[in-house]
Amino acid sequence: MSDLEREMEQELHRVLDPIAALPIPPRRTLQNRRAARALLGGAGAALSLKLLTGVAVAAAAVTIAGTATTGSLNPSDWGQQVSQRVAACKAELADGQHGIGDCVSAFAQQHGAAVASEARHHGNGNTNPNANGNSNANGNASGHGKDKTHPTPKGQSGAVPTLDPEPVDQAGQHLPVHVSPRP
Amino acid sequence: MESIGEQADKAQSEPYQPGSEADFERLYRDTYRRIFGTLIILVRDRATAEDCAQETFERAYRNWAAWKPDAPVEAWLHRIAVNVAISNGRRQRLRQAGELIRRLGRPDPGPDPADVAERSDLIKAIKKLPTRQAAALVLRHFHGYSNREIAAALGIPEQTVASRLAAARKQLQGVLGR
Repeated sequence: MSDLEREMEQELHRVLDPIAALPIPPRRTLQNRRAARALLGGAGAALSLKLLTGVAVAAAAVTIAGTATTGSLNPSDWGQQVSQRVAACKAELADGQHGIGDCVSAFAQQHGAAVASEARHHGNGNTNPNANGNSNANGNASGHGKDKTHPTPKGQSGAVPTLDPEPVDQAGQHLPVHVSPRP
Repeated sequence: MESIGEQADKAQSEPYQPGSEADFERLYRDTYRRIFGTLIILVRDRATAEDCAQETFERAYRNWAAWKPDAPVEAWLHRIAVNVAISNGRRQRLRQAGELIRRLGRPDPGPDPADVAERSDLIKAIKKLPTRQAAALVLRHFHGYSNREIAAALGIPEQTVASRLAAARKQLQGVLGR
């Protein structure tokens, strides 16, 4: 063995033998590398960007739609307003008068028109006047059922169905009424 | 402290089963340091050597099921490692060309002091050899492979190993002035 070869062996061992004391790093797996590539580059990055953009657009659309419908960023506002209006309509009813459909319907239509106008103003692009879904969606707005100011057809009872209990003759002063068929 | 050679002797005590996940993990633990040691000489710096070592084991893992136990597993790994180092050298040269163009007109920052302290003139000279010649030197003079084993590891004729070693020695002598 020449001097150069001997020196080479000594030098290589001097430099490389300390490596035996180094900790062995965890093995890099193919899955880790693929995941990193998918996140950082190539088609995976483009797909991730599209997904993130889609989520952001969807979130923005939900926020804008909610604002346009209620006039507020708080989705519970519209519900509270309707509840308050129903209570006010009930309070405004005169004695013996029944039905708050017209009252609530008027409020719903007024609110819907105002919000649709505002949404158009903000570039929402929804030009359908019924698009807010309120004028028919609250159940009373079309005046079905409870507004008894309409004339009652002949031969039918004019009694208003209510949930109030039947009046009871507690004194027992009235005799029961028997209805007999006409001759 | 066990030397790398002692670790290699221990690693060869149990045979490896091709395709076995557990055996590959054991192979990684048993041979990582020796492969890393070779790569430190073949590539520019320690960080690059670590990256190349990981790439070596990634490539080996992809072909682990096809490995034939009649060939020494460490020689097979060294063959992959040398190929990884050669690929890395090509990429490095391309990067250096780009950096040279960017640095035109600026003063040369000089070598990293930490690298200079770590390496001797001889190691620096080995690093400047062509990768295949340097690999033959490391396998011969550090890992103690015979020319036949180097030939098997690098997939070249034994005579080519001898000529590469001779060329490497001659070049080192010229560089070191001996």
